[in-house]
Amino acid sequence: MEHQIVPSENIKPQKPIIEFRGVSKTYQTGTHALEDVNIKINPGEFVFVVGSSGAGKSTFMKLIMREEKANTGKITVNGFNLTTMKRKHVPLLRRTMGIVFQDFRLIPTMNVFDNVAFAMYVVGASGRDIRREVSKALSKVGLGHKARSMPAQLSGGEQQRVGLARALVNSPDLIIADEPTGNVDPNMSYEIVSMLTEINKLGTTVLMVTHDHNLVRDFNHRVIMLDGGRIVADNAAGGEA
Amino acid sequence: MKITSIRYLVGEGFKNLWVNRLMSIASIGVLMACMVIIGLATLITENVNKAIGNLEQQNVVIAYMKDYNWALLEAEIPTSEEGREGADENGILQSDYVIHSEDEAKALCDKISGIANVAEVEFITSEEGLKTVQQTLNIEDADSQKLLGGENPISCSAKIRMTDMSLFDKTVEEISKLDGIYNVQSHSDLASTITAIKNGVGVAGVWIIAILMVIALVIVSNTIRVTMYNRKLEISIMKAVGATDTFVRIPFVVEGVAIGAISALLAEGILYFCYRVATEAIINTLNTTDIVKYGDMAWILLVMFLGIGLVAGIFGSVIMINKYLRKEGSEFAAI
Repeated sequence: MEHQIVPSENIKPQKPIIEFRGVSKTYQTGTHALEDVNIKINPGEFVFVVGSSGAGKSTFMKLIMREEKANTGKITVNGFNLTTMKRKHVPLLRRTMGIVFQDFRLIPTMNVFDNVAFAMYVVGASGRDIRREVSKALSKVGLGHKARSMPAQLSGGEQQRVGLARALVNSPDLIIADEPTGNVDPNMSYEIVSMLTEINKLGTTVLMVTHDHNLVRDFNHRVIMLDGGRIVADNAAGGEA
Repeated sequence: MKITSIRYLVGEGFKNLWVNRLMSIASIGVLMACMVIIGLATLITENVNKAIGNLEQQNVVIAYMKDYNWALLEAEIPTSEEGREGADENGILQSDYVIHSEDEAKALCDKISGIANVAEVEFITSEEGLKTVQQTLNIEDADSQKLLGGENPISCSAKIRMTDMSLFDKTVEEISKLDGIYNVQSHSDLASTITAIKNGVGVAGVWIIAILMVIALVIVSNTIRVTMYNRKLEISIMKAVGATDTFVRIPFVVEGVAIGAISALLAEGILYFCYRVATEAIINTLNTTDIVKYGDMAWILLVMFLGIGLVAGIFGSVIMINKYLRKEGSEFAAI
């Protein structure tokens, strides 16, 4: 499957949506996960984060989601200063982003509709808004007709699309996708990244961790490569190193 | 928090109760057993207190006064004639005794009433006192007259009831110190026995309730822990999409509170039934009706059970949730 390289038209000279300045993270076990990372991601960008196991990709994502705190340096995400952020404000940060997990993380006892609606209950949306937005999000990922199905009745690709609908339903500014194609077949992988690309074209920043070099090559978005906790390559969209 | 969210969270709490029904039933059973034991301890304490209260009513002290009769029989009257002008035919002067009239005796009774811990004072004239002695010794008035030569040797007195038997000795001492009192007749040993029983029952009751409260807390905590474990995926997603700690906490608190409330209502019903059967047996066997009625205690017990249930439910769930709320993303998988 061939994909046209289309740099987002929404990139404007404005404050970065994600900024790392001299960020290092060492776990209590002594593992140096990230060292002196400096990076800027602008609103509307689509960024692949690649690297081998233990390169620091997961830590990089965890720091953005504020699941972990940096030991040194400054992180800014969606206007929140994560270095000084209080624990009670973390939910506010997370409401500005949608997260797609490798293992889908769907609740097996809830149907597709409820799995997506769940993200809206958390932010206190009204019943009417929930019905409208969930239907919209499911249509966007092509699962409008499977709203009443249970996760176990869906294929891996469909389950991941439900995960994507859940990430989209609150209209976030930023989508974090942690190896979203890791558990689906190659065709579905292309489909999921295509969907993310379409979402990105509408202005949402997408940050996606992947191991799949074919996807990275075919979609030709900006790529940040991590190795040994450092950024070893960062090419802007269009192939610039 | 919006009404949609509250409705959703309360619904989730009850859903959890049903989804984990085996654990919920086990928790309700054990919590209910704790409450029934606490209720029984309370009812036994109340019945003991009632019995002791009856004993306390019977345990009165008699304070005898320094009146003319006292002067006649007990006071040390100088035998010399010197300085005893104006003495009556018995050689008694007005200054030899303190209580000269019924009014003075009643005034002394008022003074006794003013002492802390004195609940009730009844003035007993010397004639009434003599009658009591006659009744106690079961002798006829005529025989008594013959025996005493027409004299009444009994001083007027005050019959005193106290509020708190644990302050018995101190109160007796204060009464004895009053001018005009020469002797306080009391059953100090009975008072101290009553106090010891009362204290013992009180302390045992508090310990039983405290121990069972801790057990109740542990039980609810365990149920919530199982629920937490079953719902760790849900909690991790909740947190990932921006749920606040309160949002995550509420369904668990609702579940804990529901377990507590259901246990309380069942405990009240079971205790009512058991107490009724037990009291009927006691009434038939001991032929006594002097037993605390369940109706008098029903509301107190229900409020107590609901209190225990709610405290155990809220604290049990909050303690357990707070431990989990600190966890993030992948840490849930390691639980």
